[in-house]
Parts: sequence; C-alpha cells; structure tokens
Amino acid sequence: MSEAVMLNWILFLPMLGIGLLLLTPKPREDLMRGISFAVMALQFLLTLCLYAQFDADVKGLQFETRLPWIADWGVYYHVGLDGLNILLVLLTAFLGPLVVAGAFSAIKKDVKLFYSMVFFIQFAMMGTFIAQDLFLFYVFWETMLIPMFLIIGIWGGERRIYATLKFVLYTAFGSILMLAAVIYLVYSLKTQSGINSFAFTDLYAARLPLNAQILLFGAFALSFAIKVPIVPLHTWLPDAHVEAPTAGSVILAGVLLKMGTYGFIKLGFPLFPGATAAYTPIVMVLAVISIVYGACLALVQNDIKKIIAYSSISHLGYVMLGLASLDLIGIQGAIIQMVSHGLTAGGLFLMVGMIYERCHSRDLAAYGGLAKLLPVYSVFFMILTLAAVGLPTTSGFTGEFLVLMGAFNAAWPLYLAGSSWPLVLACTAVLGVVLGALYMLRLAQQFLYGESRAPHQPLSDLNLREKLILATIVAAVFALGLFPDSFMHKTELAAREYQERVMAQPAQAWVMNEPAGRNAP
Amino acid sequence: MNTQTVLTAMLPEHILLLGILLLLVLEIGSRREREFLPVTLVVAFAAAFAAARLYLGDYAGTPFPGQFSVDPTGSLAKAVVIGMTIPVLLMSGGEFRGPRFSILLLSSVYGACLLFSSDSFLTLFLGIELMSLPVYALVLLAMNRPESVEGALKYLIVGGAGTATLLLGISFTFGATGSFELAAFAQAITLGDPLARAAVVLVLLAFYLKAAVVPFHGWAPDAYEAASVPVTAYMATVIKAAVLLAAVRLFVGVTVPPSLVALLAALPLVSIVWGNLTAMKQESFRRMIAYSSIAHAGYLFFAFLGAEPGRYEAVVFYVIAYGLMNLLAFVCLPTGTDTVRDQMDNLKGLFHRSPYAAILIAAAMLSLAGIPPFPGFVAKFLIFRNVIDAGYTGWAVAGLIGSYLGIYFYLRVIQYMFMSEGEATAEAPPRAAVFAASLVCLLPVILLTVFPGWLIDRL
Repeated sequence: MSEAVMLNWILFLPMLGIGLLLLTPKPREDLMRGISFAVMALQFLLTLCLYAQFDADVKGLQFETRLPWIADWGVYYHVGLDGLNILLVLLTAFLGPLVVAGAFSAIKKDVKLFYSMVFFIQFAMMGTFIAQDLFLFYVFWETMLIPMFLIIGIWGGERRIYATLKFVLYTAFGSILMLAAVIYLVYSLKTQSGINSFAFTDLYAARLPLNAQILLFGAFALSFAIKVPIVPLHTWLPDAHVEAPTAGSVILAGVLLKMGTYGFIKLGFPLFPGATAAYTPIVMVLAVISIVYGACLALVQNDIKKIIAYSSISHLGYVMLGLASLDLIGIQGAIIQMVSHGLTAGGLFLMVGMIYERCHSRDLAAYGGLAKLLPVYSVFFMILTLAAVGLPTTSGFTGEFLVLMGAFNAAWPLYLAGSSWPLVLACTAVLGVVLGALYMLRLAQQFLYGESRAPHQPLSDLNLREKLILATIVAAVFALGLFPDSFMHKTELAAREYQERVMAQPAQAWVMNEPAGRNAP
Repeated sequence: MNTQTVLTAMLPEHILLLGILLLLVLEIGSRREREFLPVTLVVAFAAAFAAARLYLGDYAGTPFPGQFSVDPTGSLAKAVVIGMTIPVLLMSGGEFRGPRFSILLLSSVYGACLLFSSDSFLTLFLGIELMSLPVYALVLLAMNRPESVEGALKYLIVGGAGTATLLLGISFTFGATGSFELAAFAQAITLGDPLARAAVVLVLLAFYLKAAVVPFHGWAPDAYEAASVPVTAYMATVIKAAVLLAAVRLFVGVTVPPSLVALLAALPLVSIVWGNLTAMKQESFRRMIAYSSIAHAGYLFFAFLGAEPGRYEAVVFYVIAYGLMNLLAFVCLPTGTDTVRDQMDNLKGLFHRSPYAAILIAAAMLSLAGIPPFPGFVAKFLIFRNVIDAGYTGWAVAGLIGSYLGIYFYLRVIQYMFMSEGEATAEAPPRAAVFAASLVCLLPVILLTVFPGWLIDRL
C-alpha cells in the first residue's frame, strides 16, 4: 500500500467504522465498543506508520492525492501531509482510541449513535487537517458541527441543549462570513489570474489589494478566532465544556480548538500577508489578553471542568502569540504547544470524567485529600497538572518556553528600534505562566490534599483500562517534553515556509484599488 | 405543425394525458373502491423516463411554432418535476381512495410540463393555471378538517389575484412590445418606458406570489397546513420548483439591469430574513416548512442576479437539492392523522421510536439549513457564488447572514427528535410504498452528497 493510499485509508476508516456499527445488532453493545476501539487503534497505527515515513527534509506536501471533485469549478479532492498538519494529524489519531476507551463505562445510552458520532467527528477533523483545497476544507470544517451538536446535546449534562445550541450558533456565525470570504477570494483569483481554483497553493499566490485583504482576513479570522477561542469570543467554550460528556470535552479540548489555530497558520495569516502585517499587533494583544484573562477566570472557578476550560483559553493564547510573533522558534513552539495542550487538557478532562463517574460531582469544594483515597489517580492527576503548568521535562514546558522565546525574539529588535510595546506584551505573557501555576496548583491542592472527603464513598481507584489510558497520555507528554527535537524537526521546513509566506513582500506592492474588471458592489 | 414532431416531442405530456384518461375510465368502469396508485405510478415513471430521454438525447423540436417547443433544458426541467412527483405519489398511497387525487396531481404536473416548453405568454399562462387549479382542489380534499376549507379558500383567492396580476402584466408587455412571445419580456426589461416597466414588475410580482416571496407569502402557511401531508409535500417541492424553473425560462437572455436589482434582491432578502425569523417560533411542522420555503424562495430569486449559464445551473441544482430534502422530511414524518403529524411535539423522541426516519429527517433539516456535507450546502454555495461573480457582494453577504438566521429552527427539529424524551410507544414500521419513497429520495441525496460534481458538470 503506497503512503498516499494509506492517508486516504486513515481519513475514511472512521466512515468504515460507522458502516460496521450500523451492521452490529442493537443489543451487542460490548461488540460495538470493541469495534470502535479496534478501528480507532488501527487508524492510529496507520498514522504512526505515515509519521515514521514522513520525510522532514522535503519541502511541501507529501503523500498527496488529487482527484477532480467538482471539475467545473476547479474543486479537487486534494489531501496531503505537510509539516504544519503532521503533528496535529498524529494527535487526532492518538486521542481517537483514548476517547473511545474512556467512554466505555460512561456512555450507556444510545451506544451505537454515540460511537457513530465519535467516528463522524474524527472523520471531519482528520479531513479538515489534511485538506489542501479550500472548498474541501470548508466542507469538513462545517461538518464538524453536526456530530459535536449531537454529542453535547444527547449525552451532555443538565443544560446541554443551551450549551450545544450556543456552540453551534456561535461557530456557524463565523463560518457564514468565512463562506462569503471564500467565494469572494476564489472569485478575485479568477478575475486576477484567470485560474478557477480552490487549491491552497494557488490562493497563496493571489495578491489582493490591501483593503480587500483586510475584509477577507477579518471574515476568516472571526471564524477561526471563535473556534480557538480568543477573548472576547470565548463565551461558548466554558458552557460547551462543562455540559459535554467526557468524550466530547476531550475531543473539544484535544482537537477541535486546534482547528482555529490551525486555520490561522494554514489560511488566515499566509493567505493575506498584507492584512496580517497590519493586524499582527492586534492579534498579539488579543492573544495576551486571552492568556491573562483566561488564567484569571480559571483562578476563581469552583467547577473543575470550568477551570480546565478557562485554562484552555489561556493556553491557546500562547499558541496565537507564537503564531503572530512570526519568529521561527515561536511558530514551532506554537505547534508543539497545540499538541501539548491537546494531550494535557485531553488527559485532565478524561480524569475529571473518571472522578465524575464515581462521585457525580464536579464541584471542587466537594473534594479534598484524594491523594489518600485514590493514590494512583492522584499521581496521574499531579503529573498532568504539572504538565499543564509547564514544568520542565513535560510537553507543556517545551511549548510555552519556545513560544515565549519566540515572542521575545520578535520583540527585542523592535525594542532596540524604539517601540517598547512588543516587549511589554511578551512580559505580560510571562505573567500568564505564573498565573497558570497558581490556578493549576490551587486545583491540585484542594483536590488532592487536605482533609479527605468526597461526595461518594468508598471510592475505588483506577481500573486497568483507565490506568492504561492515562499511562499512554503521560508517556506522550514526557516524549514531547524530553525529546522535542524529533517532533520539531518535522515541522521546521513548513514553519519556515509559513514565515516566508507571511513576511514576503509581494511583487506588486499592495495597491489600494480594486482588481481590474470588477463591477461596483 | 408536423404530426410526427407533435408525437415525439410531447411524449411526456402525452403519457400524462393518457394516464389521466385511463384513470377516468377506470373510475367510471368500476364501482368498487380501488387503489389507483400502481397505474398512476407507472404513468409518472414513463413520463419522467420520456422527458429524461429527450434531454439526454439533446432532442429539440418545435411541434407548435411560436407556442410550444422542446429543448434539452425544458426536458430536464420536466424530468425533475415529474421525478419529484413520484415520491409524493408513493407516500400518498393509503390516504386517498379513488382516483381523484391521482387525476388532479397528474393534471397539475401536465400544466408544469407546459410551462417548460412555452414560447409565448399564452402557453405560459395556460401552464400556470393548469398547474395551480388542480392544487386548489387538492388542498380541499382534506376538507374533513374545518381549517382546510379556510386554507383552501385563502389559497384560491390569493392565487386568483396572482393570476390577475400575471394577466395584467402580460397585456402590458403586449402593449409595450406588441408581442406575446416570451422573448418580449426580455425586450420589455431593456425598454424602460413606464408601460414596459410596469409590465416587468407585474409579471415578476405574479411569480413572487406563486413562489411565496414576502410580502406575497401570506397564503403559504395556511395552505400548507390545510392540505394533507402529501399535498403539502407536492406544493412545497414540485410547485415551487416549477415556478422557479419557469422563471428561469422567462429570464433567458436577460442581463439584470441596475434598475431591477432592487426588486430582484430586496424582496428576496426580506423573504429570507422574515421567513427564517418567523419559522423559529412555529409549533406546527408544516407551518415551519412553509416559512422555510418562503426563505428558500428568497435564495432562489437571488440566483437571478447572476449571469445566464450560472443562473440556470444554480436554480436547477437548488430546486433538486431543496425538493429532495423536503420530500425526504415529509416522507419520513411519523404516521398519524394530519393534525397529529403536524405537531412538533410529535417529533419528540422520534430517534428512539424510529431511528431510520429520525436520521433522514435530521439530514434533511441540516441540508435545508445549508450545512455541509449535504447537497443543500452546495446549492447555497452555487447561488451565492453567482451573485458574487455578478458583482453584488453586498447583497450576497446580506443573504448569507439571512441564511444564518435559519439555522436555529432546523436544529430545533433535530433537538426534538434526538434530545427530548417522547412517548415510548414504538412506531409502526413504514408501509412498503413509503419506504420505497424514502429510498427514491435518499439515493439521489447520497449521490449528490458524495459527488455533487456529477450533476454540476452535466448542467
């Protein structure tokens, strides 16, 4: 099997999984769980093979497939791996089997539909990452809404309907404007160079006038910023996280939020270099606000899931800061931070789910001294907490450190040139690290230490399945923390390419007029 | 007039006519209650097949010069309309004993077929009336409910007003251009003197009324709710498709002048916004679909801002996607009396009673909302792409934001079916005919979802 075919198998395996689930008779719930796990595990193994085969020293796309889809419009089914998406694809495939295994005991209702929806969202997320055609990307991007709507709405908590509608309506609003921007972008490419194409590479080459770039960038950025989410567009996230079932939270925090940052790095910034140059300061300010504001909110929450939800906002602020710094180290750090956050936040949500299954409460005040009651659980919880804080040797350290280094790298020449605000921003971002330690340790302290109490006793410690799930995640956290080199190497060329694309001065300078041959709007 | 051309070119119409006559004879000849469904179905299948064959062979012929001609686009439109009638027939099986339903339905389809071949306003008028008159009667077939009579009467009166408007528009067009040919409409658009402008506006308003565009939409919710479910499905899909496809024929050769943009964009935009907003608070499924269809009429008329080949492509793809999805939703509605089927509450917990129906209705709703990967998304994309290509970016953005307003109420249906607890009683398995109808809709939907290019490349 050639690698390109393998990539298609990875994409379509979840759909095959849905087919298998449909054929399974309804009472055989254990069989369904087994099938789901097996298919996801297979997907991960295939992805691992591809990851090993991925040549870090080759520029551009690898394992490409390009087939006409809507030939009349120049829409292609075009998928491939490059340095920007390879780690995220690996992360998605890695979390897949863990999400499935984590839901074995939690989901008792409509098992078939549940795993079908997990497969469906896995399919859509994988597709969004590997799509290299804007139309295809948009289709996958929007398709993600459907399974998530159902996952939160059917298996969620008490206010699940409110949370899921809020999630969908928020995200759909961004997407609608992005749709208009997509159409307009492709149209301008056609009037400008006569190419009828949705391919990313063709669109990168389009040089639009600055005023058009700004509008289009605004539409794309709004859609991505809602997904990240960047403050002040974040209000859907705590609701969605708190009401979602564990599997939903893990998918949301682990992969779905990365869609926004991936959108920025793949489309938002490089498609509109002119607008990016003009608006990076604003993006950086918003990123730093997200870091600090998210951390401050996390500090005062009493719902464990909400603490992790707000910490996600803070951590993704780092990613945005790294991307907007346009410094090579910062960009690579941002990619590592995306993966790292997927692992730690995903792991923490799984752990909250495990305790919720035992005690049916997420109220921090109801717990205490779990270190004595659940020693194994506490060890894992502590490791993941420290990883989220960014302790050296864990993945969180690698990500945050590189991002901050990138931010300072970018700020220093500007400071020498006389503008001090980037340096102030970078310093404020460091404050986020301190706040991060504060809220995570507050959580760990109240949760694990002090007087032993729990809403439901006696508690049983983790069973083998749960131990295996968490051990896998912890192993990945350390792998990324101790050997970041091999991972970063895979992203280096792509990060450089991204940097060049965004910083490139276009051949014709940005003219403030309309492209030729356009009617008045 | 050439007899052979008359025989071949009008084959779909002839088959429909033969079917109507056959049903009449059967009705006279037999005193027993019978199912006339198989006969009607065979007729519809044969007619659809004939129309599709003419289209695929790129057949063109003029049996009645100046009045009636057959070309590939017209044949395709006939195939679409007759094809969409088939699920309506299949789902109606048990509800109407006797041939009245079938005869009226086939007559209405016959009228729609006339529309797509008309070359003059006279044939166009004949077609529109032949299409509409049987539907007034069809709505009244459910008259055991008192509100049905009211709805049917409202529909009749407003429809009559539409007819009068159309006639006035036609006579003004004649006055301005001295011709009854359809091309006179394009001429009137370019003319620009007051009489010609009045003619254009009146004809356009008549089409708005038939397609239920705000502010001429008042009849739709009442009529949709008054009729029985298959008739509603017919009105929401086939009639709407026929009106729009006829409008495309009317607009052949027209580049929309700036003076007409306000009329062609503003009313549809209001229609989108108003339809979507009002649909949000409906408690009756069919009223909701009625308001949704008002919004969809808005999207469809947006397509007319675009240039010619794209306009045809967009409208045809849209009516196919929209029609299939609406039919799918109606076919899958849980069984019961019309009043029961209408209540949104009846959908609660449908997933546990009948997962197949719930999943298909959910797919239909998502597609109508324009969420990918369903064909409704590609259809919406086509429309707005044409509008932007024609340079009306502002209108397109406004229309897209209007379409955002519609997402909520479609999701609400899914919420009722999947996330609410309903009565635990198991749904009776659907009749074979209804199941077949769902398959007839589902298979093309899957095709269009996976390979939208298959259809687009052929338009």
